[in-house]
Amino acid sequence: MAALRLLLLLAAAALLVVASRGDASGEPPRGRKLLVLVDDLAMRSSHSAFFGSLQARGLDLEFRLADDPKLSLHRYGQYLYDGLVLFAPSTPRFGGSVDQNAVLEFIDAGHDMILAADSSVSDLIRGIATECGVEFDEDPEVMVVDHINYASTEVEGDHTLIAGDDLIQSDVILGSKKIEAPVLFRGIGHAAHPSNSLVLKVLSASPSAYSANPKTKLASPPSLTGSAISLVSVMQARNNARVLISGSLDLFSNRFLKSGVKKAGSKISHGKAGNEQFVTETSKWVFHERGHLKAMNVVHHKIGETNEASMYRINDDLEYLVVIYEWSGTSWKPYVADDVQIQFYMMSPYVLKNMSTDKKGLYSTSFKVPDVYGVFQFKVEYQRLGYTAVSLAKQIPVRPYRHNEYERFITSAYPYYAASFSTMGAFFIFSFAYLYHK
Amino acid sequence: MVWRLPPLAALLLVAAVVAPISSAVRPVSDAHRSAAVELFAASSDGSLGDLETTYEAVSTFKILGVQKDKSLDGKACKLATNTLSSASSSAKDLFHAARIGGVLGCGIDAGVYDDVASRLKAVIKDTNSLLEFYYSVGGLLSIKEQGHNVVLSDADNTFHAIKALSQSDGRWRYDTNSAESSTFAAGIALEALAGVVSLSDAEVDPSMIGVVKNDIVKLFGTIKSYDDGTFYFDEKHVDGSEYKGPITTSASVVRGITSFADVVSGKLNIPGEKILGLAKFFLGIGLPGSSKDCFNQIESLSLLEKNRVFIPLILSLPSKVLSLTSKDQLKVEVTTVFGSAAPPLRVNLVQVLGSDSKVITIDNKELQFDPENNVHYLDIAALKIDVGKYSLVFEISLQDPEHETVYTTGGRNTDTVVVTGLIKVDKTEIGIAENDAGTVESVEKLDLLKDTEISLSANHLQKLRLSFQLATPLGRTFKPHQVFLKLKHESKVEHIFVVPGSARQFKIVLDFLGLLEKFYYLSGRYDLELSVGDASMENSFLRALGHLELDLPEAPEKAPRPPAQAVDPLAKFGPQKEISHIFRAPEKRPPKEVSLAFTGVTLLPFIGFLIGLLRLGVNLKNFPSLPGPAAFASLFHVGIGAVLLLYVLFWVKLDLFTTLKYLGFLSVFLVFVGHRALSYLSSTSAKQKTA
Repeated sequence: MAALRLLLLLAAAALLVVASRGDASGEPPRGRKLLVLVDDLAMRSSHSAFFGSLQARGLDLEFRLADDPKLSLHRYGQYLYDGLVLFAPSTPRFGGSVDQNAVLEFIDAGHDMILAADSSVSDLIRGIATECGVEFDEDPEVMVVDHINYASTEVEGDHTLIAGDDLIQSDVILGSKKIEAPVLFRGIGHAAHPSNSLVLKVLSASPSAYSANPKTKLASPPSLTGSAISLVSVMQARNNARVLISGSLDLFSNRFLKSGVKKAGSKISHGKAGNEQFVTETSKWVFHERGHLKAMNVVHHKIGETNEASMYRINDDLEYLVVIYEWSGTSWKPYVADDVQIQFYMMSPYVLKNMSTDKKGLYSTSFKVPDVYGVFQFKVEYQRLGYTAVSLAKQIPVRPYRHNEYERFITSAYPYYAASFSTMGAFFIFSFAYLYHK
Repeated sequence: MVWRLPPLAALLLVAAVVAPISSAVRPVSDAHRSAAVELFAASSDGSLGDLETTYEAVSTFKILGVQKDKSLDGKACKLATNTLSSASSSAKDLFHAARIGGVLGCGIDAGVYDDVASRLKAVIKDTNSLLEFYYSVGGLLSIKEQGHNVVLSDADNTFHAIKALSQSDGRWRYDTNSAESSTFAAGIALEALAGVVSLSDAEVDPSMIGVVKNDIVKLFGTIKSYDDGTFYFDEKHVDGSEYKGPITTSASVVRGITSFADVVSGKLNIPGEKILGLAKFFLGIGLPGSSKDCFNQIESLSLLEKNRVFIPLILSLPSKVLSLTSKDQLKVEVTTVFGSAAPPLRVNLVQVLGSDSKVITIDNKELQFDPENNVHYLDIAALKIDVGKYSLVFEISLQDPEHETVYTTGGRNTDTVVVTGLIKVDKTEIGIAENDAGTVESVEKLDLLKDTEISLSANHLQKLRLSFQLATPLGRTFKPHQVFLKLKHESKVEHIFVVPGSARQFKIVLDFLGLLEKFYYLSGRYDLELSVGDASMENSFLRALGHLELDLPEAPEKAPRPPAQAVDPLAKFGPQKEISHIFRAPEKRPPKEVSLAFTGVTLLPFIGFLIGLLRLGVNLKNFPSLPGPAAFASLFHVGIGAVLLLYVLFWVKLDLFTTLKYLGFLSVFLVFVGHRALSYLSSTSAKQKTA
């Protein structure tokens, strides 16, 4: 029995060591195993530059046909993959045990996904996209057409090859290097569901774009027009799972990655389309190689003390410190920003303050506890475009003054004291006079 | 490439190509050279990878004529030499090494080759595996091609051994034990057989050659195709680890048949269109994504370029968008897969089809030939076609009938072109009309090409009228794909209308009375935006026309509500406004001086009392003189003093509970001594009274 207990203790200690080392050596926020589902294995070569860039970054890709009967996302309750690349737009149903719900549960479990569709998008893929807050144009065979902002080529005349340059302003999603060349896009447009605030348009269509079948005459107005059309969207769920949805599968293809581009009406001809940079940078973001924050070492104490207090008194001065790191793709680096805020919160924030940083990841601030007692929370709710949400909450009670903590000698009360003590003195003297006078 | 898409998408994708994003088949170009250099980039130590990759690299570079660093060649040669002289190298390694030596001309010692040849011959004797045959025969052939005398003495037996692995449908098995047949294996088997024939010192049994020729015909029976005349080979079963994909499989077959055709007399009975289809397939890959695909594509194309079956000639259009404005010429190139000039031939435009497959002309027009640029051209003005999308059908005929057996052109070729031009926009009128009579109240003429904006106002009983005319350069009617009028309310609610057109006139009348529900009864300012665009319209535009003040009645109870506008997802980001707690203000207190002054004032009565006592001449004569009562009286007053002192201490530092505890003890003491002192005093005063 004792031996067993010792063994358990040892195991626990070993686990602790492993856990702490995981932090120190810079364990990445996500695993590196991706499942790539394709309609046809030939996509391995037609999109090999994109897959190659993923592999070069250390991601482990497993290619499977979408209708592979042995397909499975998890086994014995464990997910087999850390991410999903869904390049199977026309698949009517997945093989094996995978279906729409399995994919959604996979995302709900905090995994990432890249989904690319085209004009032949199936109901299954539409369904997955809808659950992610993105609705593809419902008409069959539609494409995004833009008669003004198209990529002019010698060989294409239907203006469905869009040269998109309306990109989201976010260094964390698109990388710090500006994407100069337009991004080539050919496929179906989509719109973010109006009530969904988690979906962001990364690449939007120009005001002159519309979504229609270029081969047939338009009788009724198209359901999607102008900049409401999103060409590529991303969604970061509340559990920090990231999803990229593109209406164009070709966007990732070698052909678009390696081709030059010239926007119609523009004199500048780019030797290489922006696609390579775009797909590389966005895939880095999707697979948490960038923009993943981690907060640790939360410390709070009264000013002048070092021990963490279990309770504060109203009007105490306290200091709050937290360390925030960002995953840079290879290691955890200090996160530098000037807008990290702390809230001292009970039902609503009583104090909301910017924290100052030492540029090495340490954020600190000090403030006076409000003169309201109750159970408060230290809250750091850090939500920035492209970054994973940092959400820290720590409960802390605040008590009023104790009876003996009030001010004891108030000058204004001296007349009262003087009056009572002089009366007492007078009484003492009077007692002599009264008792012994003759 | 997505081979399983519906025909339309597949067509777009399959026809993927060389030149950027083109969807047409174009010959190999410089883009391929740079892609090859990129794909076969040397690793940091200067080597090109393992033996197989090195061979693929040097071979691809040689075919494309890419000049590489001499040191790379040296490294590759050294790798090959080491492998060849090593006694432990397998047949596969020897095969690749010998071929590297062949491509680079490494000048490998004849003694080494003699040794290698005898080892490979030993392998051939013992094995029954197709791959072993392939590697050893290929290795021997490569040594022979480098000028060494290699002879396979029992060629007939080897031929039979390889042929024994063939299946009835033209496919091959990998060895005698495997049950599964493969198209890829068929390709390497044919290549091995070709090698055996060229290595043989005597004539190989012609009947066997005939059987193999028949196998090839069967093999071509399994070829797969797309609607656009592209042919490729793929395995029947696409599962399992042996699956190599259509590019590798087709490349293997192309290697097999071209090398077999080279060594046997007579022609192989393969239709020219299938060879052309294979060429189109390899060109359709466009820029390959991996080094393996690149090698397979380039090598297969180079084999097709000079094969003995049929040499494919590719018809391609450098530009598929022809502008009427700049009077573009319709240009057609007919070249081999590597872009070299075709033999003399004529290209005729036999048919022009409209977008709806309607025949526009069937005049047979011969394209003129420009030998300098090697293009056939035709003025589009001569075709008298207007803007739009057309399918052109070309027919190629070789001038020299002897070439018919050497080249394959595929006969008729169809290509799609878009003819674009400037569309004339005029007679634009916009105005507000009264509802009943239709009398126009205010009409403004607009020049859509200039930046003038109008402002209109209307109520629900009026109509908005917009009309304009479009005409093609040839003065015909033109119906663009996109003719939208967009009304955008201040609250970002948008309404889009397709402007209907009849003949030249495009006209839309918005009757606001009928649109009340649709407009959600929203009065206010609407921005008007007109967009006209089409694939063949060079001056597509999106133009803000101005704005319209609309005065609509109040919405009734049951009217539909305007849809919720999307929340700005960016709104939740960014720092929030700082909040600092407002503390309760401390109570107001008088200044210290005032308090102290009042303290002094409160002490005045005490001083007055003391002065009064002195004035009255207070004495203590009644103090007991006896020691016992005097002691009790003193203790009584000490006790009172102690209680008062306790009160002072209570104020200064003691808390209530300590104070009460001490007070308890003191009061018991005080009651006791007080009783004694006071009872003595009262007894003495009673005595005095009685006395």
